[in-house]
Formats: sequence, structure tokens, C-alpha cells
Amino acid sequence: MRTKHPIIQMLLIGVVASVAGVALALAIDWFPIAASTAAAPIDELYDVLLIVSVPVFVLVMTVALYSVWRFRAKPGDQSDGAPIHGNTLLEVVWVTIPTIMVSALAVYGAIVLEEIERPAANAMEVEVTGQQFAWSFEYPDTPGGEPVQSNELVLPLGQQVHFQIKALDVLHSFWVPAFRLKSDAVPGITTEYRVTPTKEGRFDVVCAELCGLGHTTMRQVATVLPPAEFEGWLAEQAKQSEPAADDTMPASATDEEEAQ
Amino acid sequence: MTFAAKLKGPGWYRALLSVPLSLAFSTALVVGVRALYGWDPLFDGEAITTVALIAMPLAFLVGIGCFDYWFYWAAGKPTRDEDHSGHGAKTWKDYFRVNTDHKVIGIQYIVTTFVFFTIGGLLAMLIRAELAAPGTQFVDPNTYNGLFSVHASLMIFLFIIPVFAGIANYVIPLMIGAPDMAFPRLNALSYWMLPMAGIMMVASFFAPGGAFATGWTAYAPLSTEVPLGQQFFTIGVQFAGASSIATALNFLVTIITMRAPGMTFFRMPLLVWANFTTSLLVVIATPFIAGSQFFVLFDRALGMNFFNSANGGDVIMYQHIFWFYSHPAVYIMMLPGFGIISEVISANARKPVFGYRMMAFSLCAIVVLGFTVWAHHMFVSGMSAWLRVPMMITTMLIAIPTGIKIFSWLATLWRGVIHLTTPMLFALGFITMFTLGGISGVMLAVIPVDIHVSDTYFIVAHIHYVLFGGSVFTIFAGLYFWFPKMTGRMYDERLGRMHFWLSFVFFNLTFGPMHLVGVDGMPRRVADYAAEFATWNAVISVSAFIFGMSYLLFLYNMITSWRNGPKAAANPWRAHTLEWQVSSPPPLFNFDEIPTIVGGPYEYGVPGAVHGVFKKPEPVAAASGGKE
Amino acid sequence: MEAATIAHEGHGHHHGPPEPNRSSRVEAQTLGMYLFIISEIMLFGAFFTAYFFIRVVIGDEWPAENMHLPVAVAGVNTAILISSSATIHWALESAKSGNRNGLKVGLLMTTLLGATFLAIQINEYVNIGFPPASNAQASIFYSLTGLHGAHVFIGLTLLVFATTRAFKGHFTEKEHRGVEIPGIYWHFVDVMWIVVYTTIYVI
Ligand code: HEA
Ligand code: HEA
Ligand code: CUA
Ligand SMILES: [Cu+2]
Repeated sequence: MRTKHPIIQMLLIGVVASVAGVALALAIDWFPIAASTAAAPIDELYDVLLIVSVPVFVLVMTVALYSVWRFRAKPGDQSDGAPIHGNTLLEVVWVTIPTIMVSALAVYGAIVLEEIERPAANAMEVEVTGQQFAWSFEYPDTPGGEPVQSNELVLPLGQQVHFQIKALDVLHSFWVPAFRLKSDAVPGITTEYRVTPTKEGRFDVVCAELCGLGHTTMRQVATVLPPAEFEGWLAEQAKQSEPAADDTMPASATDEEEAQ
Repeated sequence: MTFAAKLKGPGWYRALLSVPLSLAFSTALVVGVRALYGWDPLFDGEAITTVALIAMPLAFLVGIGCFDYWFYWAAGKPTRDEDHSGHGAKTWKDYFRVNTDHKVIGIQYIVTTFVFFTIGGLLAMLIRAELAAPGTQFVDPNTYNGLFSVHASLMIFLFIIPVFAGIANYVIPLMIGAPDMAFPRLNALSYWMLPMAGIMMVASFFAPGGAFATGWTAYAPLSTEVPLGQQFFTIGVQFAGASSIATALNFLVTIITMRAPGMTFFRMPLLVWANFTTSLLVVIATPFIAGSQFFVLFDRALGMNFFNSANGGDVIMYQHIFWFYSHPAVYIMMLPGFGIISEVISANARKPVFGYRMMAFSLCAIVVLGFTVWAHHMFVSGMSAWLRVPMMITTMLIAIPTGIKIFSWLATLWRGVIHLTTPMLFALGFITMFTLGGISGVMLAVIPVDIHVSDTYFIVAHIHYVLFGGSVFTIFAGLYFWFPKMTGRMYDERLGRMHFWLSFVFFNLTFGPMHLVGVDGMPRRVADYAAEFATWNAVISVSAFIFGMSYLLFLYNMITSWRNGPKAAANPWRAHTLEWQVSSPPPLFNFDEIPTIVGGPYEYGVPGAVHGVFKKPEPVAAASGGKE
Repeated sequence: MEAATIAHEGHGHHHGPPEPNRSSRVEAQTLGMYLFIISEIMLFGAFFTAYFFIRVVIGDEWPAENMHLPVAVAGVNTAILISSSATIHWALESAKSGNRNGLKVGLLMTTLLGATFLAIQINEYVNIGFPPASNAQASIFYSLTGLHGAHVFIGLTLLVFATTRAFKGHFTEKEHRGVEIPGIYWHFVDVMWIVVYTTIYVI
């Protein structure tokens, strides 16, 4: 240690620690199952953020720990440190590099945002309504022309869905972790987002905005079916709700479960 | 003194008399008005509570004597010179009266806020007990919602923000060479408003329907629909906010008009800079939370329609107004801590703070930028979509001035002579934890990531890294650092280090895993969760309990050292700033004579450098100076 | 240095605090009032933000169809309030030049004008024909004018104190902060009314 220059020494420690840190950070299985086209770019963005962040943290830690180890006062040492007041070059460097880093990340973030929100021409509309404490769904375009009401969310695989989200009472937030997307449901306005499911199966629908007593339990399931099966489900729903369709009340909790 | 005289004079007797009187008055007022308008029922508990929540604290403040002087002035009596009868504390009883001495007020602040920290922390322990396993342990969902709402509100409005005001109250007049704050009576009033707000928030647990349960953010329209407990938040925040604005105004005026000769802005210690910039934030931003809570109050009490979308109200407006305060508020909760860290690090590394001017400028940059980022809390709120990307950019830019500070502290350590005292350990711990919390903040600023993790435990992790690992660590650092100055005694260094290591380790074990469960899909503000999160939550809860216990070490250390710790020297850290140049604790009026400032505050290692010089008291002044 | 004259028992130190250094030309009280006004402006700012969202972002008509705002009466009221700014200015100038009667009359007139303003405002509430609860526009109308009314009330309270003291002969050519500082606040209340009047009634 007496032979090597401290900066080089720290650089070595830093590089090793950064590599180890990045490896560790990427080894962690962070995300829930991925089931939409938005998942891949978001997970990737998150990984890139990790890759960038770890060296920043390692840099801070290395300098701090190294200084403590190397410049620690001996017992009884009453001397003062070197009277360094600043160093313009250094200060310019640590303004410039983070500026470049965050600018690049912001651009990247904006690109991913654009990608996950890009509308497709054939998107299917689904209206989502949140109320204390359940979600309900409406499919406006059906083969029969009559909108279909459902308490279960069923989606076709590989087809973009355009959710239009409403709230009847207070704020809720419509979140499917497997899709990675959420948006608040706001009384008085309609919010939206687009999802293209990429995996068949059943996924949690979670209310992510505090909405009162039942917030914890405001959970449902989203089922992704192959397109043909989905068409069948929709047709069946339309048939079922036909008798109820004359009284213009929204379909109540009667149409149920046999969706699988 | 006769009993009647006790009731007339300012103090607890009068206060305890005026509170029930004000309750009776509120009841009479409400019943009277309702009778006048012929409303039914005559006796409306909710309305009476609302009026009483405003009237009772004011009555208490009048009773305890916060306004006596001003009443006297208002009645047209001749102005009288301050006679300093309200100054200083000779016994512990003097801490329980309206005292105008900034040092006494500082300690009043610190002790009071730690009481609320302890309550808030115990509520956190209940939160963790409920979350220790999936399913319901012992609280129903409504109580749970109340727990985290009161927890966060106490921590933010009754602990972090005012405890910094308390430390600054004690230290700033000393640091700038002033005998007291600019407005000592306003200072006392600011302090006494605080317990009012805190008691109100805690008391909400006894309201019918339970405590306020809408989070510390109190989003409308939930907050306009829930039971009476919400009113305790809506009104309590007004008292805390008013207190905060009044103190900030006092700091600004003190710092601008009362600096010692020669103390230019660029010779001020960075703690003074930090509180100067924080106070600007407070004065400018705090009225917005007042506004947001007024609207909620109006909707609740007067049936107005600010947040009733069926009648033309705008729900998202609440969030814009709330966050226009509450984002700057997170810097209100951090900048004073930055100041403390600069003091602690320079004194314990025996070096000038690296890049002093940039440290000051970066504080200013954070203040300015801080007003341009509020909507990063609203990326998934359904607000105008175009606002998101600009807010992402401004938010990420805040990493730059903050980075300047972190890097400058590191450069201050470099080639120093580092003394690992307890305050220094907490300062180093702060640098570590705050960097992590700041980085997770930058990740949150990236919209697509935030869309997924918003309202999950990732946010809870971020909150606690910046607020506990950030702010609270700086508070611990500051309290250990100035403990000898404030009490005249030394704390137990060994216990202090143990407190640090236990906190540091179990802090990370508590809040680190929250990042994982958050990204993995566990929402925040839930009393129950999916089985897959059970293991991590058990780990978190156990760590949280040990983490909580480590705080007992701190309490024990502070209490026993205050009572019978070894006497402290005037300047145990060999620091250069002015507060260390007077005795510990400082004399009643801080200085016998105002010092003259001749150099920077941190000229460690510069041969012959001094910050302030004290002229020898002139013989005439000494003659009047008593026997000592 | 007043402290030197006060006997003070007990502590072994000096009799009073050392005179603080004046590090700014601005007086503490004046600066304090300006900072308080900044804070007040922001409070109004929050209310104007609500107004902006309800009127512009939501885009409902303003005023709502059931709302008839008495623009002319409020205009007269505006004139009353503006003239009170002139009278308080006159009162302060009188105080500075030692004209005691001018000071008293000026303060009295200001107080009366302010009270008139408030009375007209209350009368407007009573006769306006829609309650605050009728819709969001009504809520914002009552809140903004009410917030301003509350400030007029605070200003009037300060003016009453100042007037009392003026009649008791407290102010001198040199010492007139007790008029000057409420005066600053009163000017602020007036200017704020012009903004409120313009946004609520005129445009
Ligand atoms: C002390 C309090 C505090 C502080 C200082 C911060 C600091 C920051 N916060 Fe945090 N935040 C909170 C308290 C705080 N926050 C709270 C309480 C909430 C939740 C509220 C609620 O909903 O209940 C929240 C929520 C929150 C959100 C909203 C999340 C959501 O609800 O969806 C976002 C999003 O952008 C965010 C971002 C940031 C950023 C970018 C910073 C930056 O200021 C951080 C800057 C610091 C660094 C970056 C580290 C040091 C810098 C370097 C070492 C330089 C190099 C670094 C890089 C190049 C990256 N915060
Ligand atoms: C400064 C701010 C601050 C501080 C210090 C803390 C401290 C702690 N917080 Fe808090 N917290 C917030 C601010 C803060 N929090 C905010 C803003 C929220 C968001 C709320 C919202 O959603 O609206 C939140 C939310 C929040 C949640 C999420 C709730 C939810 O979303 O459902 C959790 C869960 O674990 C939590 C835990 C803790 C723990 C374990 C501590 C611990 O660090 C506490 C440690 C301290 C003590 C424990 C002191 C008392 C101890 C004793 C007297 C000893 C006795 C010990 C035992 C009995 C073991 N907090
Ligand atoms: Cu609905 Cu939470
Ligand atoms: Cu923020």
C-alpha cells in the first residue's frame, strides 16, 4: 500500500466492487412474472438504472471508507488536516459527469415511455370502473353490438387493449403487476393506458391507491385467453346479459366465473 | 400568590381554565347558530368538534401566556422594553412556561419532538407487528390505515420538520453572534403551537370512527368522506404549518439583520446557510398545504365542492396543491440536515469544508429546482400527460446539486485527520444511506419505472432511506454533536457508538428488503398481503423491532448523561464556529460582547486562522458585571 | 442600550444582553412583515390555483348560470378600498412630519373605509342568491372573497390598534413603526383585492 498511489488503489477497489455489485444487483429476481409487451422494456430500463447506480454508490462508499481507513486519527492526535479549500477542475468534473448521466437516462426513460404508450390501430376498448371496493369492466365492442358488463377481467392474448378507467367514489389505482402498468381511477375524469398481453394465465389485479377500509382487499384477477377462446367468452357473456339488457341497469354480480 | 391571581396570570392554571371555557364557547356558538337558522339537529357533534378543534388550542395559547405582551400592546399601553423576565431556565419548571430564550425554546422543541418521535415509532412497531405475517394479526383495516397515517404525520409534521427548527433555534443565534432570535415572543408562540398540533393528531385515535386514515397525503375525495378523525389532521396541520412559517420567518430575519460584524454571507457556517435556504422554502411553500387543507375543511364542514366532481370540482387539483408544498417539504426535511453534516464532518475531519461556495450555491439550486418537480408524485395520477417528461427531467437534475454536496463531503474527508466520534459515525452513515435513498429517488423519477413501482413498498423503502437514513441520522449526528453545548455535559461515547452500529445494521435490514418486495408487487398501505411476501415481511418486522430497541440506547444515553454525565468543556471538538467559543452551556445572553468575525468558519489547518475574535470587555462594562 | 437601566437580580453575568449588531439596513419588523406577505401571497396563490383548475382546466362556464356577480357594486367597493390605501399613506406621512391630527384622521378614515368595504362585502354575501355549496364555482367565489375578507378583518384589527395608540399619543416623528407596518399590510390587502376583483368579477 505504500508503493501504490491511493487513487489507483481506490480505482481498483472501486472497479472490483462495482462489478461485484452489478452482478449481485442483476442476479436478484426483482420483478413479478412478465405478461405484457411493456414488461420487457421496463425491466430492461430498471436493469440499466441498476447498472448505472451501483458504480455511483460504490464510488461514494469507496472514497468514504478508504478515507476513514487511511486518514483516521491516531489516538491523541491533535493535528489538523490539509487546508484544502476546493479544486475547480474536480468540481467541474463532478457536475459534468452526473449531468451527462441523468440526461442520458432521462432520454432513455422518455423513449421507453413512448414505446409502452404507443397506440395500435386495432386496439380493443375496455372500460374499467373502480368503486369501493371492487373493479367492474365493460366491453363496448362485441359481435352483437351490445356492450358487455363483467366483474371479471378477461383479455385476448396478443391484442392491444385500451383501458379507459373511471371511478365512482374516491381514487383507486388500476394495477396489474404482471403488466407493469398502473393508472389512478379518478372521479370525474377518464384515465387510460394500453396493454398488450403476451402470456396466457391468471394475473392479480390490485388496487394501488388508498381508497378506504377495503383497500387491502380490493383485488381481482385478470385472465388472458387465446383470441379464439376470448371471442367465445365474450359471445357467451353477451348472450347471458341479453335478458338483462332491456333494463338499462348495469349487469350485476350475477354473470360469473365460468369464464375458464 | 392567591389562587385568583394564579388564574389571572399567564401559566398552566389559566390555560387549564380557558380550555374548557373554549369548549363551552364552541358548543354554545354552534348550537346558537343552528338555532338561529333553525337547523336540525341543534346539537351537531361534528360541527362542535370542528369549532372546538380551532378554539381550544387558541384558548390554551392565550391561557399559557403566548399573547400577553401583544394584548398589552394592542390595548394601547406604552411599549415596554424587553425585561428578559422570560429568559433562561433555572429549574426544569422553566421549560414548562412561555420562555423567550432561544436556547430554552430550542430544548423545548427538541424534547417535544422526540416525544412525538417515540409515539410515531411505537405506531411503526404496531404497523410492523400487524405486517409480521399475512392475514390479520390484531388490528382491523381501518385501524391499520389510522396507524400509518398518524405514524407518518407525526414523523413529518411533529418530528423531522420541527426538530430541525429546534436545533437551529439553539445553535443559529450562537453561530452568527446574536444574543437571541429577532422575535423572541414569536419564537415562543411558534413552539407552543406544536404540542397543540401533535396532541390533536394523537387524539384523533379517540374520535368516533377512528383516527384519520387517509395517509399523510390525505388525498381528496377520500379525505372529504371519511369520519370525523380526518378533521384532526386537517386542523392539526394548520397549527404545525403556522408554527413552521413563523419560525422560518424568524430565522430569516435573524440571519439577515443580526449577524455579528464581519460575518458576511460567505463567512456564515453552512448550517446557517442550510437553515436560511430551508426557511425560504418554508415561507414560500407551506401556505400551499394550508390551502389544500382549507379546501378539504370547506368541503367537509361547509359542503363546498372543491373535490366533488359531480358539481364541477377537480380531484387532481388537490394533488397539485398538496405536492407543490410537499415536495419542497422533503427538502425542508433534508437541507438543515445537510447543514449539520457539514459542521460535523469539518470538525471531525479537521479540514475546511471542500468547495464552501459551491455548497452554499447548491443549497440555493435545490431550493429553486425543488419548486419545479412536484408532479413526480403524480406520474400515475391521471394528470395532464405532457407534464410528465418535463417533471422527470427537472427531478433528475436535482441529483446534480445534491451530488455536489455528497462529493464535497467526501473531498472534505480526503486527507483529513478523521476522528470517528459518534456524530461522525452518524454523518458517515448518513452519506451512505442518503446516497442509496437518493439513487432510488432518481430511479423513481424515470417515469416507466415509477409507473410500475409507484404506490408499492419501493416507495416506502425510498421514504425511509431518505427520511431515516437521511434526515434522522443527521439529527442524531447533530444531537450528539451539540449535546455538550446544550447540556454542559458529555454523553457516553461507547453507548453512542453502539447506538450507531445497531441502528445502521438493523435500519438496512428493515428497509433494504422493502425495495425487493415493492418491485415484486407488494402495494403500500395494505394491512394484509399475498403469501409470497411473507418471508421478507417477517424479516423486516423482526429487524424493525431490534431497530426500535436500539433507540432505547439513545434515550438512555441522553437522559442519564444529561443528569449526571461528566462536565463538558467549552469546546470538546476544537471547532472554530462561534458557539464553541462560549461556555457550555452558553451564558444567559450568549455573549458578553458581540464578537467580530475575521475569517471563514472552517479554517482548520490554516496556520493562525481564526473565525471570530472577542474583544476584552471594556472596564466600564465589566464594572456593571456582578461579582464573578 | 436599554438593558443597562434595568436592574436584574440573580444571574452573575451582565445585566442584559449585548446590543446585537445590525447587519442589514432593513429593520427587523419591516423585513418580517415583507416575509409574512410573501407567505400570504402564496396562500392566495393556492386559492388561485384552485380557481384556475376549476375555471380553466375543468372549463365549466364562469360564472355558473345561477350565479350573478354584482360587478358594479364590487367595483365601487374596490374604489373604496383603494382610497383607503391613500388615506393610510397620508396618515403615515403625517406621522413622519409630526402632524398628529393628520395621523389620527388618516387612521380613522382608513379604518372606516375598510369597515365599509367589509360591510358591503357581507351584504353582498347575504343578497347574492347562491350558497357556497351550490357548485364548485360558488365554492371558489366564496373562498377567495372570504379569504380576502378575513385579511381585511386582520388588517382592520391592526388598524384599530394603531388608531388607539395614535389617540393615546404614542407615535412620534421618529417612532412610527406601529403605523408603518400595519400600513404595509393594508397596502397588500388592497393590491390583493384588485387581483381578486379582476379575476373573479371582471374577466
Ligand atoms: C427527506 C426526504 C426526501 C428526499 C431528500 C427525497 C429526494 C428525492 N426523491 Fe423522494 N420522496 C420522499 C422523500 C424524499 N425524497 C417521500 C416522503 C416520498 C413519498 C411520498 C408519499 O407518497 O407518501 C417520496 C417520493 C418520491 C417520488 C414519487 C414516487 C411515487 O410516489 O411514485 C419520486 C419520483 O420521482 C421521488 C424522487 C426523489 C428524487 C429524485 C430525490 C432527489 O432529491 C435525490 C437526490 C440525491 C441523490 C441522487 C444521491 C446523491 C447524488 C450523487 C451521489 C450524485 C450522482 C448520482 C447520480 C448520477 C444518480 N421521491
Ligand atoms: C421521518 C419519517 C419517518 C420515520 C422516522 C419512520 C420510521 C419508521 N417507519 Fe415509517 N413512514 C413514514 C415516515 C417515517 N417512518 C412515511 C412518510 C410513511 C408513509 C405513510 C403513508 O403511506 O401515508 C411511512 C410508512 C411506513 C410503513 C408503510 C405502511 C404502509 O404503507 O402500509 C412502514 C411499514 O413497515 C413503516 C415502518 C417504519 C418503521 C419500522 C420505522 C422505524 O424506523 C421506527 C423506529 C423508531 C422507534 C421504534 C422509536 C420508538 C421505540 C421505542 C420507544 C422502543 C420500544 C421498542 C419496541 C417496542 C420494539 N413506515
Ligand atoms: Cu380501491 Cu384501493
Ligand atoms: Cu418529491
